[in-house]
Amino acid sequence: MIKISIDIGGTFTDVVAETETGLSSVKVLTTPVSPDRGALEGVNRLLTQLGKSYADITAVIHGTTLATNALIERRGAKTAFITTAGFRDVLDIRYEKRFEQYDLNIEMPEALVARPLRLGLGERILADGSVLQAPQDAEIDALAARIQSEGVEAVAIGFLHSYRNPSHEDYVADRLHKTLGDTVTICKSSDVACEIREFERFSTVCANAYVRPLMSKYLGALKSELNQLGFDGSFLMMLSGGGLTTLEQAMRYPIRLVESGPAGGVALAAHVAREVGSTRTLSLDIGGTTAKICFISDGNPQTTRRFEVARAWRDVKGSGLPVRVPTVELVEIGAGGGSVAGVDSLGRLKVGPRSAGSDPGPAAYGRGGENATITDAHLTVGNIAAEGFAGGMISLAPDNAPAAITKHVQEPMGIADTATAAAGIIELADETMANAARVHGIELGHDIAAFDLLVSGGGGALHAARIAEKLGIKRIIVPQNAGVGSAVGFLRSPVAFESAISVMALLQGVDAGGLSQRVADQLSDVRAIVEEAVPADRIDTSVKVEMRYQGQGLEIALEHAAENFDMDVAGLEAEFVSKYDALVGFTLDNIPIELVSVSVTARERAVPKSQPFEPETGGGAVVTRQVFDLAAQEQVTYRILKRSSLGHDIFQGPAVVSEDQTTTLVRPGWNVRASDHGHLILDRSEA
Amino acid sequence: MKDKLDIVAQNVLWNRLVSVCEEQANALMRAAFGAIVREAGDLSAGVFDANGDMLAQAVTGTPGHVNTMAASVRAMLEFVPAEKLNPGDVLVTNDPWLGAGHVFDFVVVTPAFVDGRIVGYLASTSHIVDIGGRGWSAEAHSVYEEGVTFPVMYLRRGKALNEDLLAIVTTNSRVPHEARGDILSLLSCNDTGVNRLLDLMGEYGLSDLRAVASFIFERSAIGTKKALARAPAGVYENKMMLDGYDAPIELKAKMTISDGSIAVDLSGSSPAVGRGINCPLNYSAAYASFGIRALLTPEIPNNQASLDAITITAEPGLVVSAERPSPVSARHVIGQALPDLMLGCLEQALPGEVLAESAGALWTLSLSGAGKTPFTSLNVALGGMGARPQSDGLSTTAFPSGVGSVPVEAAEVASPVIYHSKEFICDSGGAGRYRGGLGQRIEIGSRINEDMFMSAAAFERLRAGPLGRQGGHKGAKGKVSVSDGTQVTDKGMYKIPAGERVILQTPGGGGFGDPSTRPDQVLDEDLTNGLVSTEAAQTLYNSK
Repeated sequence: MIKISIDIGGTFTDVVAETETGLSSVKVLTTPVSPDRGALEGVNRLLTQLGKSYADITAVIHGTTLATNALIERRGAKTAFITTAGFRDVLDIRYEKRFEQYDLNIEMPEALVARPLRLGLGERILADGSVLQAPQDAEIDALAARIQSEGVEAVAIGFLHSYRNPSHEDYVADRLHKTLGDTVTICKSSDVACEIREFERFSTVCANAYVRPLMSKYLGALKSELNQLGFDGSFLMMLSGGGLTTLEQAMRYPIRLVESGPAGGVALAAHVAREVGSTRTLSLDIGGTTAKICFISDGNPQTTRRFEVARAWRDVKGSGLPVRVPTVELVEIGAGGGSVAGVDSLGRLKVGPRSAGSDPGPAAYGRGGENATITDAHLTVGNIAAEGFAGGMISLAPDNAPAAITKHVQEPMGIADTATAAAGIIELADETMANAARVHGIELGHDIAAFDLLVSGGGGALHAARIAEKLGIKRIIVPQNAGVGSAVGFLRSPVAFESAISVMALLQGVDAGGLSQRVADQLSDVRAIVEEAVPADRIDTSVKVEMRYQGQGLEIALEHAAENFDMDVAGLEAEFVSKYDALVGFTLDNIPIELVSVSVTARERAVPKSQPFEPETGGGAVVTRQVFDLAAQEQVTYRILKRSSLGHDIFQGPAVVSEDQTTTLVRPGWNVRASDHGHLILDRSEA
Repeated sequence: MKDKLDIVAQNVLWNRLVSVCEEQANALMRAAFGAIVREAGDLSAGVFDANGDMLAQAVTGTPGHVNTMAASVRAMLEFVPAEKLNPGDVLVTNDPWLGAGHVFDFVVVTPAFVDGRIVGYLASTSHIVDIGGRGWSAEAHSVYEEGVTFPVMYLRRGKALNEDLLAIVTTNSRVPHEARGDILSLLSCNDTGVNRLLDLMGEYGLSDLRAVASFIFERSAIGTKKALARAPAGVYENKMMLDGYDAPIELKAKMTISDGSIAVDLSGSSPAVGRGINCPLNYSAAYASFGIRALLTPEIPNNQASLDAITITAEPGLVVSAERPSPVSARHVIGQALPDLMLGCLEQALPGEVLAESAGALWTLSLSGAGKTPFTSLNVALGGMGARPQSDGLSTTAFPSGVGSVPVEAAEVASPVIYHSKEFICDSGGAGRYRGGLGQRIEIGSRINEDMFMSAAAFERLRAGPLGRQGGHKGAKGKVSVSDGTQVTDKGMYKIPAGERVILQTPGGGGFGDPSTRPDQVLDEDLTNGLVSTEAAQTLYNSK
C-alpha cells in the first residue's frame, strides 16, 4: 500500500509517499509550463527509492496553486459572462467603496471578463423567486453565435436572484450547450456559489469559468498519464476548505482548489491536534514572508465562505476578487523570517509587511541583502545559531545581522545597544502576531487563553513561547516534521464536500418542512460526492445554519447533525439568542431573527494515525548558549537540546531544542517533552 | 537602559491602542442595524486620554465621524465634568453641534477607571436608522423637525441603564427596536473597549496613559509637521458652486500654510439656508481636514496632535457653520464637497500633484411607500472619482465618503423595489491624459405597482460636473428624472407614480491633464470597452 501526495507550489513541488513503514518525501522544481512533468518526476524518484511501481499506489492526493496562479497572472481562458440585461458592470462596480480610506492612489482589480464579452440577456427573476421576464430563445441563440465567433473558451452565467430560482440559468446553459457543445465550458452562478449578493456570486462563477478549461485539461492529463504508467487507485484533490474531493468534482469546481496549499498545512495541524488530544487549538504557521493563523476546534479547522484571490493593491484586504467557496479561515499577517525591520516617518519601530524574501534575503544570508530582518534579530540575540542554519543548506554571514540592526534600527531610534534593538524587533513581531490572534479570536467569540498554540513553519517554534505568554496560553505543540507541511497534510485530510443554500427568510414563518426537505436533498447530493471515494458507513454529515437579527450583519452559525435534520424553529431561536448573548453581551427582544443560509457538509470520519515514534537514545554532553532577554535586560544561559534525543522526560527551560528545519525556544518558566507521536509539548510551569 | 526599552514598549502600546479601537469598531459594525451602516461602516471608535484628547482611532469608519468625535469627548465633559463620573457611568448625546452633525449620529463616551481614577475614555459614534422627525430628507425648516435631540446625559449610571432615555427613543423612532439595539451596541462596544484597555494597562503594569500619550502626541506632531511642510507656505484661495436646495450656494476657502500647519477659513461662504443641507462647523471641519490629510499626511494616524495641526474656522451662521436651529439632516451635501474645495487650494501650492474633483456628496437614495404598502429603502448611488496625477479616476466609487452601496439583491429582498439597470455611463468620466471615473445610470421602479416617494436631498452636481485639473476636462454632471418626464431640479421630495421609474445618472469625475496626450493604446481600450464614444474620442481627445 502506498499513498502519494503531490503539492505543486509556485517554486517547488513536494511529493510525499506514505507506506506501512512511514513517510518519505522528495522536493523537485515546479515545471510551470506543464506542471504534471515535475509531479511525475517526483513520483518516479520516490517509487525508485521505495522499489515500488505505479501499480502499488492505492491513492494519489493532489493540491496545486495552478488555479490561483492563473488568476493572479491572468492566464485563464477567454471567458464570456452572460448576465441580466442592465447589469453587466456589476463586476467592475464592485462594492463602490475604497478599501483604504487615506490612500488616494488605490487601484481596483481588473475584472476577469473584459467588458465587450459581458453580455446582457433580457430576463428577470424577482427577489421572491417569481419570474418577471423569461429569456427568449432567439436572444440566447444570438449570444451563442457571438460566443462562437469570438472564439470564447468558457462562459459564466450569472442572473439576479438565481440563488433563489436557478431556472433561467439552467435553461440558458442547456440551450447554449446544445449549440456550443462540449468545446465551450459553461458555469452557472447558482451552481458554483448559490448565495445572495450579486457581485460576489458573479465574481465566483467568472473565476470558476476562467480557470476551468486550464484545470480540467491539466488534471485530466495528469490522471491519464498516471493510469498509463499503471496507477489504478483513487485520485483525490485537496480543497480550500480542508477536505478532499474527487477529480470529477475538482474539474467542475476548480475555484474550490485555490487555497489548497494552506489548507493542507492547516489539515496537518488539525491532525496533530487530534493526535495530542488538543480540543481547542490555535494554529500559527510562520514562514519566510507571512504568518498565518487558524483556529481549530475539536480537530476541525474554522472555515469561511468569504475569501478573495489575486489582490491588486499591495496585498491589501478588499483589493482582490471575491470568491464565495468554503475556505479554511486563515488570518494572514505580514510578519515572517524575512520581514524587514525599520523606522517609519513618525520614528516608530516597524516590522513587515515588506519582506526581503529569500533572495537577497536577510542581511545574514550574505547575498547582498542589507535589510535588518526578523531572522537577523534572532541571530543577534542568540535565539538561533549560525552553524547548521536550515539544516546546513544555507551558510550564513552572521556578522551582517547585528550590523544591519545597528544601522536600520538601533541608531535611528537611539537605542543604547544592538541586542536591545534586536530583541525589540522580535518583541514587536511577537506582539503583531499575538494581537492578530487575539482580535480574530474575539471576532469568533473564543476565550483564547483556553487554547493550545500549535506552531509550524520555519519560525513558529522560535516565537511560540512569547506569543503564548502574551495570550495567556499555557500549552504549546510543535509537530514533528513541521517543515514538510502541506503535502503531509493532504494525506491527513478527510474526504469532504460542502454545499450552501441561500435562504434569507424570517425564522418565524419559514417553511420548516420545505427547508428540511431541501437539506435532505442537498445532503444526498454531497453524500453521493463523498461516497465516490469513501464507504457510506464512514461518512459524517452536518448542517450549518447561519442566522442573524434582521438588519444586522453579525451572522452566527449553529451546527447540527444532518441526518434526519428537522428544522426546529423554537430550538434554533433559543440557541441563537444564547450564542448572541455570549458574543455581544445582551440580547434584543422584538427583533425578528433571520435565516441567512444553510449549508450541508459530508465528511469522511477519522483518518489513520501517523506512526508512533521512538526517541534516539544517548543525550550527549550538555551544551549551552547565551540568549539576550529583553525583560531581564541581560544574557541568559539556555541549554541546547537535540530534538531527536528528546523523550518523555520533562526538561525545564530556559532551553533551545534544535533540529534541521527549526529551533524551539523554551523560555524561562516553560518546560518541554515529547508526546507519544514525537511532537514537542511545551507547558507553562506553574509559578 | 530602561528608557530605551520603553521606546519599544511605547511602540507596541500605540499599536495596541489602535487595535483596541478596531475591535470596538468591528463589534459595533457587526451589531449595527440598517444595511447602509452595516455595509458601509458609518461609524467610528476611539480611545482618549484622561484630558479627553484622542490617542487613537479605528481605521474603520467614515471621515465625517473622525474629527467630530475627537472634539466631542471634551465638549461632553464640559456638560458633565469628569469629577462627577463614577465607574459604570456612560454619557451620550446626538446633539448635531456636539456630536457628528445630525441627530441620527449618537456619540457614546465611557470613562475607564483604575483605582478610582479616570485614566481615559472610550468613545464611539454610529448612525441610528431613525430617531423620529421627518426621517431622512432635507425637508425640515429647523432642527426641531428633524427628530429628538438628546443633550449630553447619562446613558448609564453605575449599573443602572437610563431606561427613560431608551423609552423616549423607542417611542419616537419608526424602527424602535433597531434604534434601541443600536444604542445598546454603542454602550456594549465601549465596555469591550474599556476592558481591553484595562487588560492592556495591566499587562504592561501602567497606572495611567500619560507616558504613552506624550509619546504618541510628540511623534505625531513632528511627523505631521514634516509632512505638511511639503506644501510651500502661502495663502491659497478657492471657491466652488453647489446646486443648493433650490438655489446655488457658494463655498469659499482661504487656506494659510505656514511652518508645518494649515489654517483654513471658510468665511465668505453662503449663509445657512432654510432647508436641511446646512452643515455644523464640526462636520465641515471633519471633511475639510480629511481632504487635506488624505493628500498630505496619509500615513499619519488620527489623534489629537495630528488633527491639531489643521484648523478649520468660519464666521457663524453660514452653510458650513450653521447654528441651531438651522436644519442639518443632509449636512453631508455640504460637508462632502469640502475636500474638493481644499484640494483646489492645494493644487495651487502643489501644482500637478492633486487629483481632479470627484462626484462629491454621496447620493443618498431614499425611497418610501406612497401607496398602501409602507416601506423605506435606503441605498446610495455613487459617481466617479477624479482622475489622479498618475492614474484614471475610480469609477462609481465613493470619495470622500467611505461608504459603499447595498447590493441590488439585498436591496430588493429588503424592500418592494426593482432595479431595472445599473450600468456605467459612456463618456461620463472627464476627458484627460488620465480619465475621470465614470458615473452610473440606475433605473428603479416599484415591484408592487404602487406610488413611491423619493427624497432628492443629496442629488448634488446636477448643474455642473466636477472640475478637471492640469488641462483635464469636467466630468459629466448628474441628472435625475422620472420616466413620466418629471425632471429633478431641487432637493425636495418627488413622487414616482405606480408604473413609472426613476432614472438616476450620477456625476463622473474630472479628468487630469490634456486629453490629447492620452496614449492611443489606452484610448483604444476605452473605445473597445465602450467607456468613451468614437465621437468623444474625436472631439475631446483629438484622436485620428
